[in-house]
Amino acid sequence: MISSDVIRGYNDTIILFMLLDSESYGYEISKNIKERSDEKYIMKETTLYSTFNRLENNGFIKSFYKDETFGKRRTYYRITSAGLSYYKEKCEEWKLTKDVINRFIKEEK
Amino acid sequence: METIKNYLNNMFTNLPKSNQMLKLKNDLLSNMEDKYNELKNDGKSENEAIGIVISEFGNIDELISELGIDLGSEGIILPTITEEEAEDFMVDKKRFGLLIGIGVFLCIMGPAMLILITQLIGDGIIDKGFSSNVGDMLGIIALFIMIVPAIAIFIYSGMKLEKYKYLEGGFDLSTHLKASIQQENNAFTSPYILSVIIGVCLCLLSPVAVLVMGVFKYRAPSYGVVILLVIVAIAVFIFIYYGCIKESFSILLKIDDYKKGNKEQDKEENKVIGAVAAIVWPLAVCIFLISGFVFNQWRINWIIYPITALLFGMFSGSYSIMKGHKK
Repeated sequence: MISSDVIRGYNDTIILFMLLDSESYGYEISKNIKERSDEKYIMKETTLYSTFNRLENNGFIKSFYKDETFGKRRTYYRITSAGLSYYKEKCEEWKLTKDVINRFIKEEK
Repeated sequence: METIKNYLNNMFTNLPKSNQMLKLKNDLLSNMEDKYNELKNDGKSENEAIGIVISEFGNIDELISELGIDLGSEGIILPTITEEEAEDFMVDKKRFGLLIGIGVFLCIMGPAMLILITQLIGDGIIDKGFSSNVGDMLGIIALFIMIVPAIAIFIYSGMKLEKYKYLEGGFDLSTHLKASIQQENNAFTSPYILSVIIGVCLCLLSPVAVLVMGVFKYRAPSYGVVILLVIVAIAVFIFIYYGCIKESFSILLKIDDYKKGNKEQDKEENKVIGAVAAIVWPLAVCIFLISGFVFNQWRINWIIYPITALLFGMFSGSYSIMKGHKK
């Protein structure tokens, strides 16, 4: 399990990635994150919804209601074009960060 | 699923009831419900599923700070209590309740032993060779053996709890901690009510012992009194022990008497009642001993205890009500 402190700055990136291909809703997103990370990262509910809130306030995602076939109403999220360019920015930032941090990581022989 | 709903409700109790919050809460609930259902479908037990869902909930304070909610701190910054401090306080308070309960139990058992020993010697069940003076001495020694440790316990436990005095000055709890204490408090409600019912029933039933023993033989009412005192002692122990646990929640959650503003008044009220208690109860013991040794009224003088308890209860009850009206 990864500590939430370390990963905090990249929750936005993770959620935006999950919305790149298609719109989705809370539980589906958190489940996909868990699967994609081989269960090494489980995003807590409060983290998930804090991130949704922040992304939406910045105009990076848009929420809307969608009724499921069996009648349950869910809040779905869709990435915006601003969100897409923010995502690309974050990817560049990560590459740079990774490169810099790696210079300080001692390889075990 | 009810447990999860309650958990979430507790988390949101202290938050504003705006549309935004309502929507957020519904989203969270539906999310947790999805997770719960899937865990159940994967063959997890009810408890396991609930445990996982709650453990993956996270920290409500994270949401609060993200949403920029002001919880109305009233401009005064109070010391915030950590989870460990709250936990320590509850554990110590529980132990305090146990010790005080034992102390009071011993205090009531003291006179019971005195009566028992005096009666046993009087009936010749213990050795007949004792003169009545030696018999009285034995009774008194038994009384002191009970009461001296009780007093030591009172002093010790009072000092142990001294370090939590700062709680009186006001404090803050994180919303997360508050919610989990709230949860514990709710879970404790039914054991608490049950304990009060059992205690009251024991008190009401205790005179039956005197009546039943009275039927058997001429001397027996004294044994009945001993049984009565033992039953009352058990009831009082239950009241004190469970009361202390309940009180630890009340203090931390600032409910009942511990709300802000009432504090000064309550302190004064408790002081007066405490002072009266400190006079009345030793007085009752004095009357009990004098009437016993000087006037040899052992058969009836135990009645001083129930009478004192009733009068004291009347006094403290009506005093609180009168003070309450003056507000």
